[in-house]
This record gives sequence, C-alpha cells and structure tokens, in this order.
Amino acid sequence: MIKKIAVLTLLASTAAVIGTFAAEHPGKEYILKNGYQGPKTCEVCHPGKAREFIGTVHWTHASKVDNVDGVKPNEVYGMRNRNYTMCNGNDIVNNLKEIPANDKGKTKFSGCNSCHPGDHASDVGSSGPAAEAAIDCLLCHSVKYDFSKRKPIKLKDGSVIIGQDRSVVAATNLGRPSNKTCMTCHEAAGGGVLIKRGFAMTASADVHAAKKMVCIDCHVVKNHKMPTGFDPNNWAHDGLRVSCAGQCHTEKPHKDAAIDNHTSKIACQTCHIPKTGGATAKDFTKWTKLDNGFYEPSTLKKEVNETTPAYAWYNLTVANRPEFIGPKGSRNDGKSKIYPFKVFQGKAFFNKKNGELLSMDFAQPSANGNTLAGVASATKILGIKDYEPVPGWQTIYFGSNHQVAPKKNTLSCTSCHAPNGVLNFKGLGYSDAEISKLTNPEIYFQRLLEKQEEW
Amino acid sequence: MKKTVSIIVMAVLMMVSIVALSRTAQADEGKMVGTISKLEMSADKKTATVVLKDSKSGEDVTIIITDDLTLDKFNDKRIVEGDEIRCKFEKEGGKNSSKMFKKTAGC
Repeated sequence: MIKKIAVLTLLASTAAVIGTFAAEHPGKEYILKNGYQGPKTCEVCHPGKAREFIGTVHWTHASKVDNVDGVKPNEVYGMRNRNYTMCNGNDIVNNLKEIPANDKGKTKFSGCNSCHPGDHASDVGSSGPAAEAAIDCLLCHSVKYDFSKRKPIKLKDGSVIIGQDRSVVAATNLGRPSNKTCMTCHEAAGGGVLIKRGFAMTASADVHAAKKMVCIDCHVVKNHKMPTGFDPNNWAHDGLRVSCAGQCHTEKPHKDAAIDNHTSKIACQTCHIPKTGGATAKDFTKWTKLDNGFYEPSTLKKEVNETTPAYAWYNLTVANRPEFIGPKGSRNDGKSKIYPFKVFQGKAFFNKKNGELLSMDFAQPSANGNTLAGVASATKILGIKDYEPVPGWQTIYFGSNHQVAPKKNTLSCTSCHAPNGVLNFKGLGYSDAEISKLTNPEIYFQRLLEKQEEW
Repeated sequence: MKKTVSIIVMAVLMMVSIVALSRTAQADEGKMVGTISKLEMSADKKTATVVLKDSKSGEDVTIIITDDLTLDKFNDKRIVEGDEIRCKFEKEGGKNSSKMFKKTAGC
C-alpha cells in the first residue's frame, strides 16, 4: 500500500512538473527578450548540454560495439559507416547531396544523413564549438517546430546545408518529445515511410501508444543518452539498454504461473508482438523507374502488422557474415531466449575478390538506374580499388521490439503448441520426441477448456 | 408452402447480397504518385483538401484527408506543397478519400 502511494505520488508530481513545463518554460521570458540563437541560448540555463549531446549516437551515428562478430574493438560502427542490404550505403557514401538530373531534367537532394540533427556543415561525428553551435535543439524540444524550414539548401559554393527553425515561436513553445518527434526521422528510414522497421507508434498499432505513452517513457533518456535494445541489426548504442522488465514490468508479470514459467526461455516480445511490417525484400542491383523519372531500389513493401516474424534463439550476440546478419544462440547455451525477428532479404553487389558486400552511392542510380555506376562511385569514395561486383543476397534479422499487441491478439497456448503453431520446434533444436510432447494438447487442453466461455 | 417460403427468403437474400456487393464495388480504389500543388485545411482542422499533380499523367487529382496522423503532418509542415506523395484513395460519391498518404522521400 505504501509502495502504491509512493508510486502514485511520484507520478502525480512528475505530471505536475511536465504540466508546468508544457505550460511555461522558465526561459520563455529570456528568449522573448533576447531572441533565440540556437544552442548558445539554451546553454544560458543548461550549460554543457551541447557538448554532452554531440557525444551521443544521435550525433555520432556510431559507437564501439562489443556483441557482434568480426568487429574491431577500438573502432566505431553505425549508420555512419556500416553497409547492409536494407540501405546498401551509409553517411559516408551517401552523404547528403544534390543528385544528377534525371531524363526529365529534375534533380533532388538525397542522403542517409539528411536526418542528422546538425546543419550538415557540422555533420555526423563532428565536434568542437562549430558543431556545438550547429545542433538543432528545437527539432526535438519544440512543440511548434516548422518542419518546412528543415530542408536541404544548396549554397553558392555548391555545398549543401540543412535549414533549421530557430524562430522565437519555436523556441518559446517547448515540450516533452512526443512519438511524432521521434517518428519524424525514424519512420522514414530505409528509403521511405515505414520501410525499414515497419512499425507505427499509434494507438491502433501499439498498446503503449494506446495508453498515451510516448517513446521516451520506455527509452528513458539520461543526459541525452538514449537507451536502446539489442536489435541484431542496430549496433550503435549510448551504453544504456532498455528492457520490459524493470521499471514497468517484472520477470514474472502474469497472473498465471504456467505462463510465467515461459519467461526464462521466451522473450516478452515473442508472445506480445505477433506481427511486424515494412519492406521484406529489396533489389539494389536493378532499380525501378518511377513516374517522376527517378529510380528507386526495387522493393517488396508490406504495411504495419502485415507480416509474421521468424523466431530464433538469441543470446544478444550477433552473427555478422556477408550473407547473414542475425541472432546467435541456442537452447543449450544457458543465455538464450526465443525472440521474434523481422526477416529481410536484400540483393546487392558483392566483391568477388573478397566476398564482402559493396556499398552503393545512390546519386547515379537515382537519376538513371545505373547501379554499377553507383558502386563505382562508392568504391572511389571509400578507396577500394580491387573489386569485381557480383550480385548476391543477404538475409537480415531485425529485432521486433515495437508494436505490442492488445491482449486479445497476443500469442496463446495453441499459437505455439498446436502442430501447426508459429514456432518451428525442429529448427529451434528440439528432438522429434520433444516436439511430440510440446505439440500434445495434454499440455494446454484443460487450461483452455476452463477459460473457454460458454456459447 | 414451406418450399415456397424458402424460395422467397432465398430470393430476398440474394437481392440484398447483390445490392450490398454493388455498393462495395462503387467504392473504387485508386493509387498514384504525385506532387502536392495545393493544400487547404478546413477551418476546424479536421479535414484537408489536397490537389496532387499525377507524375504519370500530369492531371490534377483532388484528395480528401481526414486521418489525424496526416493532418498533424500538415499542421507542423512536415508535409507541404511541393512534396511528392504516394497515395492510395477510395473513390466514392464523386470524392477521393485518402486511405494512405505518405511522402516518397526517405533516407
């Protein structure tokens, strides 16, 4: 009881603080009087925050990684420099630029780093006073940000910068970052809206969103560091990890001990996130021409909740081979649980000389569909001279950690324990005798019978 | 007598089904990629009328948008005139109601 009162008091006081903050930011008067000059203004009351922010993955787009095969311990990895077949490039080879004119004479700006919260002049991983001054604080902290101002602008010298809304209106209307704040950038990853991960943080798609929770309720930010999970294909991290168990849920969260007994071997997501979405496959070797004259990677797209995940043992370490990026683990290693994954397969050019996946600069193929010209440009940027491009496929297992389903849509006993269940017990390492036992109605029949409503 | 009643009931059911199906068929679906040439929000901000210039035919297509997520993107100018859109819509009663309205751009 005392614990409940303490929690309720904490929630009420937090709500009061948030409410106060949303209503009136204490610095509003100062900004109205002095105007807004970017981070310099924020630092009047929040000293050190700019330097703090440029040390996070949101700015660096990379970090050291210690749970992935084949990575070097002293190097950093992330969208700054990684290459895999959902994107087939990175911030380096697809640095924001104006792409050549297509056959209709149209050009456009394109680049992996177009969401980077700087101004592009101070770009991914930059540091020092100029970088600190370039941070677009209001992009996340204003509730009246004018996104039409945040667009690429080509300067007279040919360089490209990204505009920012540094208006007094934006600076005097601050608030807690919402789902919209995060999704503005994160929903457009992988080449378009809901392509890469295919989840929507909307009330209809996720029970947390339905309860008015926002991304940072789970990804509880500490000094601008963002806790993340262990998605096998999301390597860069700020050193903080997010987990269902802890602040909100326990290791034994069910009212039914028989279900709780599953949690040592079955991850929460397995039963509670039964669907995934987004692109299932892409071909970077042959791009599709659009009606506007531009080309894009040929892509098989699915909407939110349209695809079924694959299930595998995962001990939070990652296999990283040219043809496969995904979970490592087994039922016998004492560390693994069964997790759901969004399976994606991508075709791209590999280097016949060493088997490695080659990157592609999208400028040329976007304009004229010439994918080998894109590879040639990328290899030049990266200083790769000895290569022979050959097409090949790569399979990637993305973590399926969002879009928690309402209770009525979660997996139930028969979802897995019926002979036609979603778990491939053979593939998960179970013997025929064990499978026979696992798929015998004896283990769930009475329980479901008791729960079955009369009709 | 029973047989006659059964035939009449079956006939009525079939007519109802045909009418229902033909109504469904009237709601024709369309999809297109186009650039926003005009964007107008209603006074109560619960509806927006958008004119998309079809990239293929060059024709103007007027779309009505009512979903909150997209309306919010108009409000804070995450989607503005000049943006290229991938749109699915339903043609009903002389109007095109948006079912999917996404910017083509991504990173």
